[in-house]
Amino acid sequence: MSLTDLKHQLRKFDFPVCAKEALNRIEQLLVGRVAPSNKQLDIAMDIIAEFVFCEVDRRSGRRTAGITPLQELQLIDIICEYLSACVNDTTKNTIFLSLFGGMESQRRLKILSILASMAVSASSTPVLLAVGVWLQQMGCSSSQSLQLVENIIRDHFFLNTSNQNTLKSLANTAPQFVSNFITAVTELYMHDLQGTKKLPPKNLLEVITSWVFSNPTLCMSAQLNAAALPSGSIPMAAVTPLAGLIHWCALAPLYIDEDSEMVEVLVPIKRIKIENERDHPTLKTNVNKTLTEAELYTKLHLAVLHSLRAGRRNHGPPTAVNAQHLAGLGPHVQAYAHQLLKRGIKLQNDDKLQDCLDRIGQAVQVALANGCVYGNISNLLAALDTLPENRLLRIIIKTHQQTI
Amino acid sequence: MNPQSKSTSLSADLNNFIYGVSRRNSQNAPELTKIGINLLKNFPAARDAVLEYFAMVFHDAVNVSLNQTEYEADINVNGSLESVSMIGPELCSLGPSWAPFIAPWCISLIMDIATKKSNIPNVTLQSTEPVRVLLDMTTQNLTLLNSDERAKCIDMMLGSWQCSWAVGWVGRAEPALVAPRALALPADAARAVFAHLANHPLALAHVRAALVDMFHEAIKDDSKLEKRREVIPYLLNLASKSDVVLKALTQDIELTLSWEGMDRLCSVCASQRHSPAWEGVGPAALVALLMHSLCSVCGIVLSDSVQKNQIQTQDKYLLQKLEYESLFSDKNIPLLTSAAEESSVVREKLLTGNQLERYSLARVLILVSYNLPSEFVSTISYLLQYSRNDTTLAILVRIISGTITMHIPNDSPDINMDTERHQNFIKTGVEYALRDAMISDTEIKRCFIEDKVPKDQKTYLHYYCLNIIKLLRWENSNRVGHLRTRPIGRAVEASLYRIGGALQDYATLLRVRPECTMASLDEMPTCHALAEVLDRVDMSGTKAPPPSVEVILKVVQATVKYFFRCLHEKDMLDKLRGVQTACRLLRKLCIHSKLARAIALRDLLETAMFREERAFGSRSVVANTVTSNREWANDELLIHLNQKHGAITQLTQSHTSVFHAGIIGKGVRKQNGADNGDGIPPILTTNNELLMAALMSCMDGNSGVVEGATSVSLLLVELVSPDVMYNGLPWPDEDFTKQVSIERELYMRGALENCAVARAALRRAAAARPALCLASALLRATAATLLHRHRALLDRHSQSAEMARERAALAELLATMTLGQLLPHPLSHMLELAPGLTAGEIVQVLRDCLWNYTRDHVPSPALFTCDATGLHWRDPSTCKPPATYTDTLRLIIQKRISKLGHLYPIMFLNLEKETQ
Repeated sequence: MSLTDLKHQLRKFDFPVCAKEALNRIEQLLVGRVAPSNKQLDIAMDIIAEFVFCEVDRRSGRRTAGITPLQELQLIDIICEYLSACVNDTTKNTIFLSLFGGMESQRRLKILSILASMAVSASSTPVLLAVGVWLQQMGCSSSQSLQLVENIIRDHFFLNTSNQNTLKSLANTAPQFVSNFITAVTELYMHDLQGTKKLPPKNLLEVITSWVFSNPTLCMSAQLNAAALPSGSIPMAAVTPLAGLIHWCALAPLYIDEDSEMVEVLVPIKRIKIENERDHPTLKTNVNKTLTEAELYTKLHLAVLHSLRAGRRNHGPPTAVNAQHLAGLGPHVQAYAHQLLKRGIKLQNDDKLQDCLDRIGQAVQVALANGCVYGNISNLLAALDTLPENRLLRIIIKTHQQTI
Repeated sequence: MNPQSKSTSLSADLNNFIYGVSRRNSQNAPELTKIGINLLKNFPAARDAVLEYFAMVFHDAVNVSLNQTEYEADINVNGSLESVSMIGPELCSLGPSWAPFIAPWCISLIMDIATKKSNIPNVTLQSTEPVRVLLDMTTQNLTLLNSDERAKCIDMMLGSWQCSWAVGWVGRAEPALVAPRALALPADAARAVFAHLANHPLALAHVRAALVDMFHEAIKDDSKLEKRREVIPYLLNLASKSDVVLKALTQDIELTLSWEGMDRLCSVCASQRHSPAWEGVGPAALVALLMHSLCSVCGIVLSDSVQKNQIQTQDKYLLQKLEYESLFSDKNIPLLTSAAEESSVVREKLLTGNQLERYSLARVLILVSYNLPSEFVSTISYLLQYSRNDTTLAILVRIISGTITMHIPNDSPDINMDTERHQNFIKTGVEYALRDAMISDTEIKRCFIEDKVPKDQKTYLHYYCLNIIKLLRWENSNRVGHLRTRPIGRAVEASLYRIGGALQDYATLLRVRPECTMASLDEMPTCHALAEVLDRVDMSGTKAPPPSVEVILKVVQATVKYFFRCLHEKDMLDKLRGVQTACRLLRKLCIHSKLARAIALRDLLETAMFREERAFGSRSVVANTVTSNREWANDELLIHLNQKHGAITQLTQSHTSVFHAGIIGKGVRKQNGADNGDGIPPILTTNNELLMAALMSCMDGNSGVVEGATSVSLLLVELVSPDVMYNGLPWPDEDFTKQVSIERELYMRGALENCAVARAALRRAAAARPALCLASALLRATAATLLHRHRALLDRHSQSAEMARERAALAELLATMTLGQLLPHPLSHMLELAPGLTAGEIVQVLRDCLWNYTRDHVPSPALFTCDATGLHWRDPSTCKPPATYTDTLRLIIQKRISKLGHLYPIMFLNLEKETQ
């Protein structure tokens, strides 16, 4: 069927219906045993632009102002319906990526953001999984991904704050999405060296902690379950959120001003030692009381350590944590230490710094011991060596330098 | 909760919404709105769509409520209105994290509505329910934003000229942000914004602050040249377009046009005058501004204009414009209003300012006074009180005449009515000034506390009087055209009562004189001035209606008081001048009014005899009956002494108790006692003469002297005689007096003798025949007592001081009666005869010649005939006393011819010649 015929047929319908029809046609065009030809791809893209997103005027072929928010909502409804009805993951991902896979269209990205956010609201697993694939394919730290994630955060952690339970349950229904989502989130916060340190909002931190804590394999899920991609496409490697989370946990003691936290600490914080932790891994699973941010980070740290243990792979090279990524902690810690020195405080006496270094040491030790680290490990150890003096860290570095 | 079931219900909502919206009508609007609100909460991502739908609902609702008549304004009738009422509170309560979405949506919706409905008046639009809800929402959400976002939103609104009203409305929440931004707009747009913003008092303050900032920025030395060039023309332009800006600008003009401000402004003006942007900055623009500004500003401008000619012409232009404008009575000129509000400042400036200021302000005040009579009155009052030189008085004259003659052509029929009205105002002004001056006199002044009173410090009332006097002088000189109608004179005449009252107040000796006030100063100068005011006023009733009885009484009493105060003046010149003024006043008052005369005479005599007797050398008529000036021992008291006389004291009406024991309350009479003084107080003293002059001045005019003297006689009798019995004209038998009325006679004699005033007055009465007749009781009392005394003193104390007194009294009695023509020809020479007689002879003469004659020829006015000239007299030729009354005299002379012979021919020869 030629392009003009297709268009001619589709033009018989008005907007919401034509989009629905267009999706079916695209499915017919793209999904098959063999990879679609370039021509087929072009036709699909044309149809998508004209009938799905209405970016091109039907008569003149010029670019239009697009669709109104209400039409967007209709479109999103149709897409949702289509995706939910799709039985084949590959088909679903193929259509999804061809709809939103383009790098350039800000308008489509906006619609995608709304779609993703609504899928989160409605706990629509098929859509979320598709979004997870999209995140992975776009790269979790790409600007589009970050934009999408920011939108979701704003919608669900600032505007609507009453849906925490729904969000927590996502870890079970759409772990791939959650994993990629966390990876992107860790890119957003605590990342700039200079200026104000942007900290994640508390409810986001709570949800992430509960996700990671309740499901140690969550972080690895994107890697464990390979995405069902259209034939002929190149799968992108999934990046686990572990390195980012280690960042957070390590830097949290430095950045959180404990005095400013208004929540009163009722229970004295008990520092959990690694040995104890191994003996009682589910010590604090059912915590109903609200935790302070510091406590949350502590809990998250524990959860990350658990996840690292779960990240051990019995065959194949380690994929969980990039050594380079871990080494990136160095400058943050050193900047803080530098400030301390400026103020004339001894590094050994600063509890926060020591706490930070302890956490780094713990994480590195667990990661190395479980064979989760890939990349240049000796570089990592060298970078760690430049950090301020810490007993645990020193022991770990010595141990591992000998083994290499 | 099972996530699966929840998700399905949510998508059901979503589906319903999408389906509903595609088949939108007014019926399903509330339903859809409910779903939309739900979606908003649970599907934040759907907010754009939901808000778009809400915008549609708002548009519908605006349409509905614009087409709706008042009566069917029931919310439930229409779905979209109902929806709006649901949406409003929901969107307001979403919280700060939603505000960044809601606020811009609200603003663009307002702009949409405003643009679509730009053909509908703002007021109608604003009063519709949906728009109000929308504005509330906007305001609410704007307050939740942080300042950057807020500024962005407001900038967004300012971009559209159709919704300037909305900016004004919403800007009330954030005037500090809106006002400076609006100033950056072109004048027309800024005007619209300010017009709406200014209904809010708080916002107005910010507008003012923004304007002042802008102005100061503009005249700052270091500001950028091109920027500064634009600002002032812009402000003037804006002011001419927007009342609000004008008001704001003028309210703060004190800040903007301070001294330094003016200086810098001048320099800026000088350097920029020729640039094109300044073309509009002519005098007209500035005058328009000034016209609305406060008068304090004008003060600044005026004082500044002394140095700068160009402003001077400006000023003239302004005044002309004002005068022209006020021709239209319905116009309200802010400058005048403010001048009225700050009239006290303006008036003060009148006194202290330079010439230009004074005359300009006078013109302003004329305009103000013309519209506001109360200001007219208080201006007059103020200037009368505080003017200290001729210039300011001249300004007062100018204001008075200017106000009266303003806008009234001379041939207008209602000119009389109007001048009458103004005359009333002037009168009120004069009265207020008087009252206020008197009040100010009782206020505590700093200079007294600091003890820095200038030597020639005058009371406020004094200054007031001096001003009035000067004005009256101008008026009377007839050389001042403005005063030809005698406005001041008439006003003063109309307020005579108060001025009289003031004089009375200040002249009274019992006046309260609070410390540290003007009232503690010597009051006499003030009194003199007040008297002069009264003196200069016409009270005859020829030029104005004659003063009422009340007024006359007040002024007469005041004048009498003043007269006596003047008698006590130390400085002779002041004293004489004051007395003269008082006399003139009395004359003026009495000449037309018998009532005034009666009052004046009585007051004068009473006061002179009973209150001021010491001034005339008199002793108190009534012996000290109230207080004893020393403690008396028991055996000194008359009552005890008299008991020693045994039975004598028991006789009633007996003279012994008095003659030999003394005066009750004073113990035994002391021979030649120092406290009695020796002899009779003299008549011929300055004060006495002055008083007589005053009395006489009350009797001026046609037959006034006789009438006056008559009443003086009657008054004397009334005042001296202790009771009304025996006050008649006839003289009884001499024995009768001895038996019945001797105590009374003694008392009267004493009273009369001790009172120089009474005696002097008696003499005056005697001169004005037949007035003396009416004082016959007094003469009788003297005669009777003389008889008794002489009889008692026979041969005993012929040379004592007492005797001398008796003789002096006799001489005076004879002189008075002779003068009054009560003793006709031969008898009249008893006066010359008396010194040569012995006591016994005197008794004889008194009884036979004086008493008996008078007894038989009752001294009555009937004896006196009135001749053609109106003079009353007794023709000696017709009233020769019969021989019975003269024989005693003749015998005595014959008996002592050697000594008294020279009188015989005078007394009897002619007589005999005639009888022969």
